Amino acid sequence: MNVKKRFCKISAFVLKLLTVMVFVMPFYIAVVYALKSPEETMRTGLALPKKIYWQNFTEAIEVSDFWSAAANSFVVTVTSVLLLTVICTMCAYVIARNGHSLFYQSFYYIFLAAMMLPFQVVMLPLYVQLRNMGMLNTRIGMLLTISGFQLAYNVFVYTGFVRNIPVEMEEAAFIDGAGKFYTFWKIVFPLMKPIVSSTLILNALSVWNDFQISLIIAQKPEVRTIPLTQFFFFGQYSIRLNMAFAAFVLAMLPIILLYLVMQKYIIGGVMAGAVKG
Amino acid sequence: MNAKIKKQGINFLFMLPALVLFIFIIVIPFVKGIRISFTNWDGFSPIYNYVGLENFRRILKDPSIKGPICNSLFYTVVTVIVNNAAGLGIAVALKKDTRVNRIFRTFVFMPFILSLVLTGFIWTYIYSDVFYGIFGIKSLLGNKNTVMWGICIMAFWRDIGYAMLIYLAGLQAIPETYYEAAKIDGAGAFKRFRSITVPLLAPAFTVNVTLFIGWGLKVFDYVMAATNGGPGRASETFAMYVYNYTFPYNRAGYGQAAAILMLLGIFIISGAVSRLLRRKEVEM
Repeated sequence: MNVKKRFCKISAFVLKLLTVMVFVMPFYIAVVYALKSPEETMRTGLALPKKIYWQNFTEAIEVSDFWSAAANSFVVTVTSVLLLTVICTMCAYVIARNGHSLFYQSFYYIFLAAMMLPFQVVMLPLYVQLRNMGMLNTRIGMLLTISGFQLAYNVFVYTGFVRNIPVEMEEAAFIDGAGKFYTFWKIVFPLMKPIVSSTLILNALSVWNDFQISLIIAQKPEVRTIPLTQFFFFGQYSIRLNMAFAAFVLAMLPIILLYLVMQKYIIGGVMAGAVKG
Repeated sequence: MNAKIKKQGINFLFMLPALVLFIFIIVIPFVKGIRISFTNWDGFSPIYNYVGLENFRRILKDPSIKGPICNSLFYTVVTVIVNNAAGLGIAVALKKDTRVNRIFRTFVFMPFILSLVLTGFIWTYIYSDVFYGIFGIKSLLGNKNTVMWGICIMAFWRDIGYAMLIYLAGLQAIPETYYEAAKIDGAGAFKRFRSITVPLLAPAFTVNVTLFIGWGLKVFDYVMAATNGGPGRASETFAMYVYNYTFPYNRAGYGQAAAILMLLGIFIISGAVSRLLRRKEVEM
């Protein structure tokens, strides 16, 4: 019995390990290919590199204009995330605290419906509108549009959270003569810290990874973000294998680092969204 | 009375920034879009005519629309089934909160943080160079019978981790005492899974299914990055069909009408499925 149990345990572990390896494999392939010279790749396939060949990276950075793309991605992501946090928490606070009012609740349902909206439905009119306002090919146009699309989800999640925060403290603050603005930022917002941090990180991921929206707005190379640069880079040229993987690793690196550091919040955010459903 | 007006005014001020952005980015374009779908506009010239329902009529009659619809539906059905089955399986396997399991979860979820475009490109290269070069397996993306499977595999890799997390959240909400009580009553592992885990996971199941249906019906980035709809038009999805008519082909009115049909399709399918699942949840 004991042997049998042990055997079961070990085989279960091996099975799990194999499954996990399937998920890790593409990362492994990307890193190994990125670090090897073309000759070594021909000879050794998937084996670990004997000699690290940094030239793949220097070439990939140069050819794909990596720094400019990274700067665009960074600026757009940081500003959208900050904007979303400020405007959505405030909006959600009012919706959550006026649960009895049909007027405010109707916004809640409008946002709920907007979450399903495919981008294609507003794609063209939005493009025309931004063109007429001179906001095509600008970072501001990109960040406003991407934020606009994230907004509904944010308000939805924040509203659910604020509903569960007891109102007593706010009432005490009102009696003490504090204004609504002060009460929100000094009392309610700090209590929202857990949901804000995980939503903020999830927003950062979606903005950083956005492709569909930036594809129509950023058509000039100067404003392209990382996913777009990659799209045009790989779409136009047939790239040498090792350099291609170096470019993938470069694009992955910032987001993987963020993930490993912020893992708790990312996973927490996904799970928090799940329970609410 | 004055205080009440002031209170409402402040409330409204709180909502104003979000509402302005929402109206500017979503509501106005949405309303304009409905109007455009009744015109023969090309997207840039100043003149266009109203053609009534002509665009819709032509889309429904277009023989080349069958492919994109089938592709989007195929992708949706396959990813919903596989992501849920695999996600649930892995969640059950990694349920115990041990160090090793936590590390495993980190890796299974890791692909999800990459962009869809990057996922598409990595897999294109893996299919064409790594798999072919080392194992001699021809790229799935090169053959029009297998190309959609090739796309689905990318999606499995990226999204199974997400399904796993949702199920994990559901599993962790089930009190351990239920299982202990069932064990004492003599219920086996399968029976416990069937009678405790499955019904109590119903909400997580609903979330996952509706979410993946939504993502599936809108699938665009993978295909754009990996195949651009090819070979031929074998992997063109409905979202791509809309994009192609609106931008590269310059048939804005037609593309916009297709987008509205897409919206209706998504609302009807998602709405029906989520309603059905919610009702089942109550029964269980």
